[in-house]
Amino acid sequence: MRRAGKSGTRVALIAAVAGALVLSACTTGGGGGGGEGADKTFNIGIGVDLDTVDPVQQTTTTVQNVVDYGVEALTKLDKKGKVQPSLAESWETSNGGKTMTFKLREGVKFQDGTKFDAEAAKFNLDRLLDPKVEVPIRGNYEVISKVTAADPTTLEIDLKNPSPNLPLFLSSTISGMMSPESAEKDGNSYKNIVKPVGTGPYSFVRFKKGDQAVYEKYGDYWGKKPHYDRVVFHIVPESNSREAMLRSGQAEMIMNPPVSDLKALEEDSALEVVQAPSDRTVFTAFNNSKPPFDDKRVRQALNYAVDKKSIAEKVVFGAVDVVDSPFASSLDGYCSVGSYEYDPKKAKQLLADAGAKNLSVTMGTPSGRYLQDKQAAQAIAANLREVGVKVKVRTTDWPSYIANTGAAKDEQVYDMHLLGWAPGALDAPSQFQMFQKSQWPTNGLASAFYTNPKVESLIAKGNTELDDAARDKMYCDAQKQIWDDAPWMFLWSQTLLLAHSSDVEGVSYIPNEKFDAVYARPAKK
Amino acid sequence: MTRRLVASVITLLGVGLVLVGLIQLLPGDPARMIAGMEATQAEVERIRRQLGLDEPIIVQYWRFLEHLMNGNMGVSARTGSPVTEEIMARLPFTVELAVLGTLFGVVVGILLGVIAATHKDSWIDSLVSAVGVMGISMPVYWLGILLIVVFAVNLKVVPASGAASLSSLILPSLTLGVFSTAIVSRMTRSNMLEVLGRDYIRTVRAKGLVERVVVYKHALRNSFVPILTVIGLQFGTLLGGAVLTESVFAWPGLGRLLIDSINARDFPMVQGIVFTFAAMFIVVNIITDLLYTVVDPRVNLYD
Repeated sequence: MRRAGKSGTRVALIAAVAGALVLSACTTGGGGGGGEGADKTFNIGIGVDLDTVDPVQQTTTTVQNVVDYGVEALTKLDKKGKVQPSLAESWETSNGGKTMTFKLREGVKFQDGTKFDAEAAKFNLDRLLDPKVEVPIRGNYEVISKVTAADPTTLEIDLKNPSPNLPLFLSSTISGMMSPESAEKDGNSYKNIVKPVGTGPYSFVRFKKGDQAVYEKYGDYWGKKPHYDRVVFHIVPESNSREAMLRSGQAEMIMNPPVSDLKALEEDSALEVVQAPSDRTVFTAFNNSKPPFDDKRVRQALNYAVDKKSIAEKVVFGAVDVVDSPFASSLDGYCSVGSYEYDPKKAKQLLADAGAKNLSVTMGTPSGRYLQDKQAAQAIAANLREVGVKVKVRTTDWPSYIANTGAAKDEQVYDMHLLGWAPGALDAPSQFQMFQKSQWPTNGLASAFYTNPKVESLIAKGNTELDDAARDKMYCDAQKQIWDDAPWMFLWSQTLLLAHSSDVEGVSYIPNEKFDAVYARPAKK
Repeated sequence: MTRRLVASVITLLGVGLVLVGLIQLLPGDPARMIAGMEATQAEVERIRRQLGLDEPIIVQYWRFLEHLMNGNMGVSARTGSPVTEEIMARLPFTVELAVLGTLFGVVVGILLGVIAATHKDSWIDSLVSAVGVMGISMPVYWLGILLIVVFAVNLKVVPASGAASLSSLILPSLTLGVFSTAIVSRMTRSNMLEVLGRDYIRTVRAKGLVERVVVYKHALRNSFVPILTVIGLQFGTLLGGAVLTESVFAWPGLGRLLIDSINARDFPMVQGIVFTFAAMFIVVNIITDLLYTVVDPRVNLYD
């Protein structure tokens, strides 16, 4: 037996060495994925797979963020969330707000060489409105009744009613401008675009599902030229894996690193963390239609009972900003309206005034959808227990979760539930949807079942008011009223987290959960 | 053999029926998932009609069968592209991982098993079985992250994730392979021990054959049929185990597509992928049975 063992061991050793050789041959043969810095490639790790690169079919900001590298729209948003010119240089309103005229930028060419002009813009807006084309979020544009190319640089848009928010909506990828010539080429069809050809600083090269999307610098870009020749988006759903990618040098930048590692990332001198304000408000909606939450005092009490600042700091690792309005501060029309400072005494008093004794409620929370959502829900429940409210925290997978929160008011599974809401165009009307009766489930997702005639009328008037100052006043009054009515436990607005190598500079953001790294470049040191 | 093929087809039809039925039980509104949360209700309703989600189960099963007979599996609810096309694009990645993982498991597992058996009750034997227990009980997810931290982040010898180069294959297939290694080595050890105790082994030893030939030619070959069964089953398990591994390593295979599709309630895609997994499992089992006859000529599949 002894001798047999030795010979067996020898064979094993030989095999192990051979195996190691084969593996190392693979390593040298394939070349490390990270060593592409030499040819000026910028690698970005993102967590969401691209479902479609067709501009009109967008539903996800991360995907829009990728498509934006190649496709531009008439307007764009800046770092403060304000509308800026892009392919349109200026615009004005006439005919009592029912006609908008856009002056288009001259000398712009699509990446296939086609000229960008009013006809091209008309083609894209007509396609966006064409019922034959599937457009998941068309609602914002349905106010348009007719698009006319008056001359090559003048685009006229006729509206069904005045819509001061239209320039905001026209900044979205959904209304991005593609070359009409390209719409039936290279696998593209009028109904479905797989290779978008836009006017952006980078042109789309290829996309492999679940793996990566590749963009190459467009030499004839009309604006400032970017530094990197290629931008590769790597699709890596696990945040830990994204972090590993960044740390191993395989990516220069990643979106949303694991929030629990924020501190370690910040302390690493080779890395930098960017916390960008975003449009996403995270809140706990009370079911306002049923006791105990049909009483305003109970809803206010719960707002006072929770130490939001401390939870934001300790449970969400400081990656959020506690809100002082039902709006995130980046939204159009936002105004600061108040605060529910942590005050358990006041909470108990209000509960006593309302005659709410021995409350026992069920709180729903998603798990992993928003930053530290489940953990935050548990911390909130702990705070509520301290003022005598028993809370059962329940969670489920995301599709089932929004099926529950989107159910009719008598079929709601939870008494209160945590949710996030992010109007991508940073417009007030999308945020106000959450406080209007017309948007109650199952017509919409205003799952607090809140309404107030005063608020409804302020929103309705504000949405068609052409005077900016007057509109902002109405929106602000509505926010004040909502804040006082407390249909939600107002929590925080999320930040978009980016981590990048400190060898890179010029990484910025737009406050609708998008990053802006088009002009990123090696850091000067 | 014909009987087996007929049985396989019936099994697959059953899988299809169960799939269509089970998927209907999943809560969550596919139309809402596709439209995105911030979309209005009218938009959601339009998508629902477009996808035919308001039709009864029996109609949906019939449509599924109809698609199968036409050699396709319908259209993805999320992306609008043909399910078959998307699956064929992802399948090679998963098969590649499963094959490499199995290969690793088989080679290393059999070697470890043989060494353990020939060193029965020594410290080597204990070490191998300790490694085996660890291999079986270590969560794939954790092992994956551990390997990434050591080999990609600290040593920087292989990429952390993605499928850009051949070297990207090393960590995920290793992660998958460790689990099979553990099972195969335990199986090999016990079978080898049994065979090594047989009379004919004593006979060949008495004939004065070199011990290596005794162990690898006579003993291993004769304990191979049960090991082969385990390997066949393992390959199937690995196809499924790939789901987690693919997520950790951002590997663009079928497993990740399955998770994404379930989360998006993309019913046609989920049906297609699970059906493909089932079909592959059946094919692998048939191949394993055929291999028995190669390893052991006494096995006859035609009786």
